[in-house]
Amino acid sequence: MTADAWAALRRSSLGPGLLMLLVVVVINAVLQDNFFGGASLDSNMATFAPTVLICVAQAIIVLSGELDLSVGAGVSLINCVLASLPPQHVGGSLGVLAIGLAVSLALGFVNGVLVAYVGLPSLVATFATGAIWFGLGLTIMPQPGGVIADSLGDFYAGHVLGVPTPLVFVILAMAIWVVLARHRAGRRIFAVGSNAVASRQAGIPVARIKLMAFVTGWGLVFLSALAISCQTMSGDPRLGQSYTLASVAAVVIGGISLGGGRGSPWGALVGALVLGMVTNVIYFAGIPSSWQEFVKGIVVVIALGFMVLEGRRTA
Amino acid sequence: MNPALVRPLLLIGISILLLIVGQILLPGFLNANQVANQLKIAAFLGIFGLCQTIVMAAGGQGLDLSVGATATLGGILGAAIMHGSNGMTPLGGLAAIGAGLIVGSVNGIGVALLRIPPLVATLAITSVVDGGVIVGVSLVQPSNAASPVLVTISGWATAGVPNIVLVWVVLATVAIWLLSFSAWGRRLTDTGANAMAALLSGTDTTDVRIGAYALSGGLAAFAGFMLTGYVGQAFYGLGDPYILTSIVIAAVGGVTLAGGRAPYLGVACAAIMMTVLVSLLTAIAIGEAGRQIIFGATLLGFLMLDRCMKGQLHKALFSGLRPRSRAAPVPAPSTMTNLRSGG
Repeated sequence: MTADAWAALRRSSLGPGLLMLLVVVVINAVLQDNFFGGASLDSNMATFAPTVLICVAQAIIVLSGELDLSVGAGVSLINCVLASLPPQHVGGSLGVLAIGLAVSLALGFVNGVLVAYVGLPSLVATFATGAIWFGLGLTIMPQPGGVIADSLGDFYAGHVLGVPTPLVFVILAMAIWVVLARHRAGRRIFAVGSNAVASRQAGIPVARIKLMAFVTGWGLVFLSALAISCQTMSGDPRLGQSYTLASVAAVVIGGISLGGGRGSPWGALVGALVLGMVTNVIYFAGIPSSWQEFVKGIVVVIALGFMVLEGRRTA
Repeated sequence: MNPALVRPLLLIGISILLLIVGQILLPGFLNANQVANQLKIAAFLGIFGLCQTIVMAAGGQGLDLSVGATATLGGILGAAIMHGSNGMTPLGGLAAIGAGLIVGSVNGIGVALLRIPPLVATLAITSVVDGGVIVGVSLVQPSNAASPVLVTISGWATAGVPNIVLVWVVLATVAIWLLSFSAWGRRLTDTGANAMAALLSGTDTTDVRIGAYALSGGLAAFAGFMLTGYVGQAFYGLGDPYILTSIVIAAVGGVTLAGGRAPYLGVACAAIMMTVLVSLLTAIAIGEAGRQIIFGATLLGFLMLDRCMKGQLHKALFSGLRPRSRAAPVPAPSTMTNLRSGG
């Protein structure tokens, strides 16, 4: 029984990530008073949720064999859209949300078409579109400002059926993945990611599946942008910048192959939590902030070391 | 016409066109001083572009995201050692390049021996180097001023030609010889084009790749050291603006992520074109928003141009050789496929 679970863990490539998560959780629990208490768990959840969501989004795109370097700029753009729309003219908060979601899906659609149908390399193409998203964000909002409706902020800070809203967001993201994975679409994402040529010859519409992965991912990017917006309660065209690289790092820590087709978004969840907890540890351990970047770098290097030790080909 | 010259000429043509448009919109845009100034900015960008050209040519989704951090390291370490004195300047430069070579070698070992995807390996090293620089500076608080000699080399001009442009011309000449005409350059592009074939025909592809990353690191640190002279002092974040722009000019210049091509002449011309474009946009008061959008659109445009040319080439080579059928596999459109096969 235990042996079976162990073997399953080894197969899942989640092992190193979970081990690191365990270590940082223990350190965190020692350092942060009342780490498992309701209040600090709530506030940690609210802080981690945006990262988790964007990392799961990246994971879905990476599984299909591509990469999206424009997610951070996309978060900024959606944040600017949410903060600059006057709710009274677009049908209240729900109208604002609908427009934000539509913008997000449109961005994902453009990336997906460029990569899957035009055939541009995703790394450079999404870098280029990222510059465009950033420029559009700056056009809407040259300076940080604007406001997010209080009703949205209250909603995010509150509970849905007794569950904190940030946690609901994360559960929703994972539920989308679970549903996808149980259906043909999810299996096809893995197939396309691990071997596009073989998938095409097996009759899978490769381009359409990749487009779907991008659009699904950007649905989650919208949730992430919404979560961040509800925390900051205002718009900032540079808000999402650091999330692009964090999402790639989380994907790697979570044991997802950047070559596509191997791993699962659960890994991205673990990776995002590790990164978030490390920031927490640095904060609560009273380590000078000058060490923060260095410690984060070392954590990623350790994660890479684990992968190499496991003897797995990561590419 | 030699196909290798089409793109450089195209890019130079666009640059001249942009300069003329600038002159029409803003009289005085085309004066010698202004052009010299732009060449100076292009020189730094061009050196960073060389870093990307070399690692991208080595294939396997080669990329070096650590050029910014390495340049910062080179600038800060060089400044700390030269301490603002002319006599110590060569030593500072050598130390900077040495440190860059070490960082680059670590990248190369991660990519070639441990088989970590370049994007991830160089990103991880970026955090460590950036973090190390912050920690080091906060502990030692070194001198950060550039020596007068370095300022002269990077910032001043001789007979109207900026010195750094002369440095760049020499470096570019050596680079074009190394990449396009030397045996090592042939091994590099062979490794990028088809690592397995290169290995079987006697090229030590691991050595070549480690060498490529080491060279990229050394060049980035050198560029950072020179930037210190241009700006007057070294500071944290010195090299960061060059990380992604260097990749852009490499892509615009005709290097592909799939590897196997190292047309540095094209990349150098792309550096000039991008510099002129950015300065024109700045001059006609297009804000950062517009610049970013045009920047992204330019890159997309060149990617599509590449895509079209590849499609045509493919058609020209294979039409008539193969019966047309729906099942004929088109080469996978995504370069991510090359990541797996080329690793």
